[in-house]
Amino acid sequence: MKKFDLELTVGLFIIAGIICLGYLSIQLGKMEIVGERGYEIYGVFSNVGGLKNGSSVEIAGVKVGRVKSVTLYNYQARVVLNLPENVKLQEDAIVSIKTKGLIGEQYVEITPGGSEKIIKPGGQIRETQSAVDLGELISKFVFGKI
Amino acid sequence: MKTSYFLKSMLIFFLVFGMTLPGLAGEPTDQIKQTTDKILSIITNPALKPSSKTAEREKLIRQAVDERFDWEEMARRALATHWAKRTLEERKEFVRLFADLLERTYKKKVEDYSGEKVLYEGETKDGDYATVKVKIVSKKNKDIPVEYRLKKEGNDWFVYDVSIEGVSLVNNYRTQFNSIIVQSSYENLIKRLKEKVELK
Repeated sequence: MKKFDLELTVGLFIIAGIICLGYLSIQLGKMEIVGERGYEIYGVFSNVGGLKNGSSVEIAGVKVGRVKSVTLYNYQARVVLNLPENVKLQEDAIVSIKTKGLIGEQYVEITPGGSEKIIKPGGQIRETQSAVDLGELISKFVFGKI
Repeated sequence: MKTSYFLKSMLIFFLVFGMTLPGLAGEPTDQIKQTTDKILSIITNPALKPSSKTAEREKLIRQAVDERFDWEEMARRALATHWAKRTLEERKEFVRLFADLLERTYKKKVEDYSGEKVLYEGETKDGDYATVKVKIVSKKNKDIPVEYRLKKEGNDWFVYDVSIEGVSLVNNYRTQFNSIIVQSSYENLIKRLKEKVELK
């Protein structure tokens, strides 16, 4: 009887350990298994400059959501954003892809608009601004005046 | 024999009809081209070149631009979240100031025109919205990509945003106006706009 109890405790410990490990990997990997919260909208960009899945979506510098997917569509980049229910976007909101600092990672910045029409879940943000290639701009500036 | 005639006439009818229809709708690129050509003809017109005719030339250019630009839509988009709080008179005043500000900012650029070529690189249409891509090529072979965003009203397309080198004009003013209003007040923004516009 005593032996059985010990085995049970060890088993329970191991199960608890595995659950903790699973939780940790989901948290660290930013995965979501029990359905996504919030809603999705998408935008089409001519250049996303290396934007990745999971990159942050910011409004006024505050992280509100994340990039769900970046796929090629008609030789353009189709970016799906995941936003919480309480963040509503107007039809004339502008989504631009920006870089943190000079050589930092890419993120999505949204400047809210003034339209009364709200973009519905699954809808498209029409006003997009592609990533500005700083290197290209500098080279234009440097080599432009020949 | 009869059926083949019928088929032929149908084919011709559809060909002609199919070809003329887009022309009637007024394609965004055509309309942008029209306005651009009109402005270029004003700038390059030797009769309007002397400095005594500057005012007249500016007036003509402004008229041509007014025909194609939807200032109210542009101003509304630039003011964004603050637009709803303004009264009708304030909105009217703001639209006028905004249009004047853009005129003042870009007047010099237009005056500096020296034979740059404008290439039309295609358009995309999505319902009542369209984008027209244009490339301005200077004599030094430096090219500037410009993107017009248009909205259809009636049979005409009107510009509500312009992106130069991928940077949106509306977004630029939207962030500037927003930070001025948040840091001080709407009245202060109007004051600053007036100072800028009146500074000849």
